[in-house]
Amino acid sequence: MSNILLMVAVFLGAFLIGYALISRVPPLLHTPLMSMTNAISAITILGALLLFAQPTSLVEKVLGGIAIFTATFNVVGGFAVTDRMLRLFRSRERQS
Amino acid sequence: MTVLVDFSVIAVLILGIRQFRQPAGARLGNWLAALALGCAFVLVLFRHGVDDVFTVLVALAAGAAAGYLLARLVDMIHMPAMVAFQHGAGGVAAFLVSLVELSRLGHGLGLIGEISGLLGLAIGALTFSGSMIASAKLAGRMRQAPQALPGHDGWVLLVLLALIAAGVASCFAPAALALALYVAVIALGAVLGVLVAMRIGGADMPVLISALNATAGVAASLCGMVIASQLLIAFGATVAASGSILTLVMCRAMNRKFRGVIMPRYTAASRPASPAVVTPDPASPAAAEPVPSSSPGGRSPATGEEVELGLAAEALAEAGTVILIPGYGMALAKAQQEVANLAATLVARGKTVRYAIHPVAGRMPGHMNVLLAEVGVDYEMLVEMETINEQFPVTDCAVVVGACDVVNPAAVEVEGTPISGMPILMAHLARRVVCCNFDRRPGYSGVANSLYLRDNVTVLEGDARHTVASLHERLLAGGGKSAPPSAPPAAEDPRRQAALALAGAKRVVIIPGYGMALAKAQFTLVKLASRLRQGGATVNYAIHPVAGRMPGHMNVLLAEAEVEYEDLLEMEEANPIFAETDVALVVGACDVVNPAAVEVEGTPISGMPILHADRARRVIVCNFDTRPGYSGVANPLYGYEKTIVLTGDARQTAGDLLAALDEV
Repeated sequence: MSNILLMVAVFLGAFLIGYALISRVPPLLHTPLMSMTNAISAITILGALLLFAQPTSLVEKVLGGIAIFTATFNVVGGFAVTDRMLRLFRSRERQS
Repeated sequence: MTVLVDFSVIAVLILGIRQFRQPAGARLGNWLAALALGCAFVLVLFRHGVDDVFTVLVALAAGAAAGYLLARLVDMIHMPAMVAFQHGAGGVAAFLVSLVELSRLGHGLGLIGEISGLLGLAIGALTFSGSMIASAKLAGRMRQAPQALPGHDGWVLLVLLALIAAGVASCFAPAALALALYVAVIALGAVLGVLVAMRIGGADMPVLISALNATAGVAASLCGMVIASQLLIAFGATVAASGSILTLVMCRAMNRKFRGVIMPRYTAASRPASPAVVTPDPASPAAAEPVPSSSPGGRSPATGEEVELGLAAEALAEAGTVILIPGYGMALAKAQQEVANLAATLVARGKTVRYAIHPVAGRMPGHMNVLLAEVGVDYEMLVEMETINEQFPVTDCAVVVGACDVVNPAAVEVEGTPISGMPILMAHLARRVVCCNFDRRPGYSGVANSLYLRDNVTVLEGDARHTVASLHERLLAGGGKSAPPSAPPAAEDPRRQAALALAGAKRVVIIPGYGMALAKAQFTLVKLASRLRQGGATVNYAIHPVAGRMPGHMNVLLAEAEVEYEDLLEMEEANPIFAETDVALVVGACDVVNPAAVEVEGTPISGMPILHADRARRVIVCNFDTRPGYSGVANPLYGYEKTIVLTGDARQTAGDLLAALDEV
């Protein structure tokens, strides 16, 4: 039971801290923000990895493999495209 | 200990997100977040190990390669489609993990675990299918217009109930049956995602994408509940927070309620036809007259056919918005082809043209629609009575062709006639009305039509096929004036005028919209801006929160064109500046600068915050045409005296302005 309480507390804590911080992100950065958080949501890759921590049946291999593939696609693509975007944002100070 | 390590990793993630407060630190923030994720990955590897190394490596390598490749190749304009697609991929991973865990442990998970798993299945599947629809719509692989099934809300409710039923049943079913029910939950979740996403149109996409961002985060968190991992829960929760904030910001910026966007009450058919902004018709012309700022008021009653014809052609030539009202008389005279030809010319001149269809016009339901479709009229130009009636007061010219009772103001103004109380098309509210009817006799109801007697109405009697054709000819010959005007003198060339205004401006604010992105005009625009700066002007860009197809879309596109982000102003910063702005340059934006949003009550955009380009000393509009934007509300800004409208492809227009600047 304490486990469940901890999990709920972690969710609420992370949500609230995230909410407070992300509220202060300027609209200028909303697209990179979404694309980065999108990459973060692929944290499910940990779950997919855990599936392989024990011997797997064929069906589990296939499903787990697809999960790892899509999650990795999401993580790598998300962070890479965010970086590409952020590199485009240039400041006058940094240029001169 | 493990908890402590987990929390350190979460702290790194939060540190990364914190970096997004400023553009300068954001890149580092992105890498910090990636680092946090990498640490979490290594932690799990270290703690639990991998049994089937080969499968894991292959899947990892393939996913990473595909993700990296796509990230390198994607265009900035297609960023929303890309992000939506990735949301979908995240959704797949979330529901697959939940599925395998559920199938392994089933009822051994405990009630909380089972419920989390089931929710994870449904939300993951919904995120996946909804994102695929959103991505297809954004990439232009699907029609962007909202699409609704008959009884759409009913279907949504039915699927939702079935989903809940399957989920509840699975908690009590034996393992084999439970597995089938899990698959059913996934399938129903996917159907739900499709049902919700298909009904959301192009310009509402920012809300949908943001909401899917939130659901992807929730799905990840739920997945974490199933496997009891703090890392998954915390990471998912921050994403859910981010998605929720963006959803709220987008809704506020459009003055919409989230519910209204996700479950719109209109259907695709009853929405005002205005898709032109999204899919420019290459056949449309480059040049068109600017919309007149006023139309002549009282005129002496004219006599003589010629004079009437001249007046009617003048009304059409000067109009920016025209509504055609076909009736059974058009069908009798077989005038539909002539009507369609006239409409085509009006559209080619940059006017907004729609057909108003009264439910009882013609001899069977939908009769007029069929007749007009037969001569190739785009059905999106055909608008139902309830929708079009709101538009008449802001319409410059209504053209009645063979319709009588359905436009008779007596139906609403006079009591006790056979047609009293019958809903009519409010043609009489348009600034000017042209009637191409056979004669002035009453229609089927026998009630005299008071429309013919009004000041702003011109009647062309005779066979509609003939009168519409002559009207068209007169319009082509040069409007209402007896002598067709020759080519306008150079001083009146709107491009030159605009260049003069820009050359003399000390302060210029550029307002980009999705039209700029479609025309890929940002690079030319930046050249124009630096040219103006060389002349000593201050140039800024004003960014509306919902310009583009996802939050912050315009900023990315302009950053790609090497605009410094100090020059990008948010709406709240930009609006106080407009009063002291010499020229507001609108490029491919319509609804976000439509003053009707604050001045007119009861339109779809009323109350939406806008960029107040209308407060600038001069306004230059570089839009594809002068038709309304996605909202379907005509933009009165185009008609202001201080406004110069340059229609056509925005990149071309910006290039012309650059050239014209060198001449003046």
